[in-house]
Amino acid sequence: MTHLGTLALYLAFVLALYAIATSLWGALQRRHVWVASGTHAAYAVFGCVGVAVAALLHALVTRDFNVEYVAAYSSSTLPVRYTIAALWGGQKGSLLFWAFILTFFSTIVQVQNREKNRELMPYVTVTLMTIALFFLGLLCFITPPFERLAFTPREGSDLNPLLQNYWMTIHPPSLYLGYVSAAVPFAFAMAALATGKLGDVWIRTTRRWALLSWFFLSVGNMLGGRWAYEVLGWGGYWAWDPVENAAIMPWFTASAYLHSVMIQEKKNMLKVWNMVLVILTFALTIFGTFLTRSGVISSVHSFTQSGLGPYFMAFLILVIGVSLGLLFYRLPELKSENELDSLLSREAAFLLNNWVLVGLAFATFWGTVFPVLSEWVRGVKITVGPPFFNKVNGPLGVLLLFLTGVGPVIAWRRASAKSLRRNFSVPLLSGFGAGVLFFALGYHNYYAVVVFSLAGFVLGTIVSEFYRGTRARQAMLHESSVQALSRLVGKNPRRYGGYVVHIGVVLICLGVAGSSFFKIEKQMSLKPGDSLEAGRYTLKYTGMKNGEDAHIASQAAEVEVFIGGQYITTLRPEKRLYKRQNQPTTEVAIRPTLRDDLYVVLGSYDEPSGLATLQVFVNPLLSWLWIGGLTLVLGTCIVMAPNPAERRALALAGAPAEIPGEVVAD
Amino acid sequence: MRGKSKFFIGVLLIVGAVGYLIYTGIRETSTYYLTLEEFLPKREALANEGVRIAGRVQAGSVRWDPKDLRLSFVLGPFKEGVGDQTAGVPVHYQGILPDMFAEGRDVIVEGRYNAGSALSAKTIMTSCPSKYEPEKSGQPSAVSRQQNKEK
Repeated sequence: MTHLGTLALYLAFVLALYAIATSLWGALQRRHVWVASGTHAAYAVFGCVGVAVAALLHALVTRDFNVEYVAAYSSSTLPVRYTIAALWGGQKGSLLFWAFILTFFSTIVQVQNREKNRELMPYVTVTLMTIALFFLGLLCFITPPFERLAFTPREGSDLNPLLQNYWMTIHPPSLYLGYVSAAVPFAFAMAALATGKLGDVWIRTTRRWALLSWFFLSVGNMLGGRWAYEVLGWGGYWAWDPVENAAIMPWFTASAYLHSVMIQEKKNMLKVWNMVLVILTFALTIFGTFLTRSGVISSVHSFTQSGLGPYFMAFLILVIGVSLGLLFYRLPELKSENELDSLLSREAAFLLNNWVLVGLAFATFWGTVFPVLSEWVRGVKITVGPPFFNKVNGPLGVLLLFLTGVGPVIAWRRASAKSLRRNFSVPLLSGFGAGVLFFALGYHNYYAVVVFSLAGFVLGTIVSEFYRGTRARQAMLHESSVQALSRLVGKNPRRYGGYVVHIGVVLICLGVAGSSFFKIEKQMSLKPGDSLEAGRYTLKYTGMKNGEDAHIASQAAEVEVFIGGQYITTLRPEKRLYKRQNQPTTEVAIRPTLRDDLYVVLGSYDEPSGLATLQVFVNPLLSWLWIGGLTLVLGTCIVMAPNPAERRALALAGAPAEIPGEVVAD
Repeated sequence: MRGKSKFFIGVLLIVGAVGYLIYTGIRETSTYYLTLEEFLPKREALANEGVRIAGRVQAGSVRWDPKDLRLSFVLGPFKEGVGDQTAGVPVHYQGILPDMFAEGRDVIVEGRYNAGSALSAKTIMTSCPSKYEPEKSGQPSAVSRQQNKEK
């Protein structure tokens, strides 16, 4: 099977080369047969990569420890679901998985557009296949995944225990899906630049892909945070580690793109800027992959030098060089058709939103690469930790939250004093109310109260938007309120789904503010029968329990939880020993409530003295972070829902954009 | 032109704000990041500055008091058989031990060096093996290789 896999990879490499050559030739000569042949070759590339993935999965599931990858990332006692997850648990497998998703997406794009975009498609194929060629080249010549060992070990060294967690089985694929789907808008942008067909078509064709990419990046980041929270046992979910930064940077630029693209559709402005954002997002996904594999930046995840760094760097330079070159070549044709009328307008709010998001991406980038830069410039490595990112990104985030409230309701072109009063008096009131409410509830921190007020402000604007739209429908069309609300959303899923996403963002901000500013942390060594206090909780340690199976040996502390003398529950934080790797890990115990999370870690257990060290965190409002994440996912699903009006607009490509439902909503 | 100039004022404001935040952020939060070998000759100059030092926990040096959660050990150089093997910096720490902390492990210690004595650590990070590439020993995170050797 592994020979088949290797063969399939070589074949895929050759086919990708063929697809690039024929598509390019066909496009230049305007010979459709060549283009079609290139498309078919691209399908075949996907087939071959699929065979290679199946071969690696087969080797993993049949526990063929003679294959180096299988021996390094699995073991005979590893449960099947984690054995499958081992496909992306290691470098070689993850690169293969990457190539697999990319060629899969490329196939979907080809099928979607087989009757459409005749001029753009050859270049889309060229771009996507060039990216595929890069990954296939790595897999064929640099890090072959099917490499065999000189001997067959009796046992594999197992998947890293920290990765043996259900969040971790879905977090990397989600992030990869997000990374890789950013390649599709990029490919269309390149095609638009290459052909000079710079109209709205490429943007409309890739709108869902951009959303999909953003969707998976969001989900991937949330899952990563959830994983860190449950597994790493330091009481938090986000540490601004380079690996996390690599995942959040394209999210920032993709968020900026999703907003600025509306301005291009409505006002024909920001054409160059949109191109830049698409290029930037894609480049950041490659940069992220580079970061995590090159060892250039030392991270807690620490991926050490793997020899792949230079290849990624070269590819990154190629991507940026070619795309910026094309952009400059077409610059005269990308002139904006409108200008900014006023700073008090929706255009201005969206622009500001874009700069803040790009500013966030830039600050994160700067902080991440700073050690390398300082070493170049001053000869000393200087790092900045989480305090830097919190200091810089915190205020920017607050500004962004403010704009989330302003952007959707301020008038286009120029807002009059009257319209400002009409649109913002209710939200301002609700913002003020929220601030007062949280202050009264005992959240005494100015920074946090500002965040809570802004959250109230944004929620105020969104609720009044829904209210006004529903009332208008009720008045004009005599619908019941439920009917009016659901049709309002159904007629314009993009707009109202977007509002639901914003609600998610607001809730995430609540969770972040609550858990960062009001966190309580306690640690203490306890004998059985001792207790400790943390916030409103009293925890009583009663004893230790041991457990063991073939894969894991564990020690769990029994901790009884009381609030005001009232018994609530028993938590069992554990220390686990994964036998294969002989590595101890921590299993935290969490009791989440809407008010706060009680998070208990068994720090250490000293058998002779019977002392157990507990580390206890109380994280206020943290549940809202996950609820907000779910809301955001729901909202994105609404935005991505099929929309007949939009399809009509795409069919009439080139005709000015019409935002359906706008009349009713305003 | 009016639209343009407003546009540029906006850009300048944002760029200025981001630049200012980054500048002050770096000034206030930056930490020297050194390997132990680099740190040893400079340690007196760097006394009382925030530092982050990568090294290896020297065998036989770990003292752990589970009651008060006090840890002390000697942070030695990475590379075996290179340079002075006895050189190292004593480290004091109070808190919970990271799971992977053990003698012979590669760790990153963040804290302050007290002139002439020891490093008081605020955090100890063990290189967490994401296992993207575990093969090279002598580098942080070559953990799995070491375990194989231990077996």
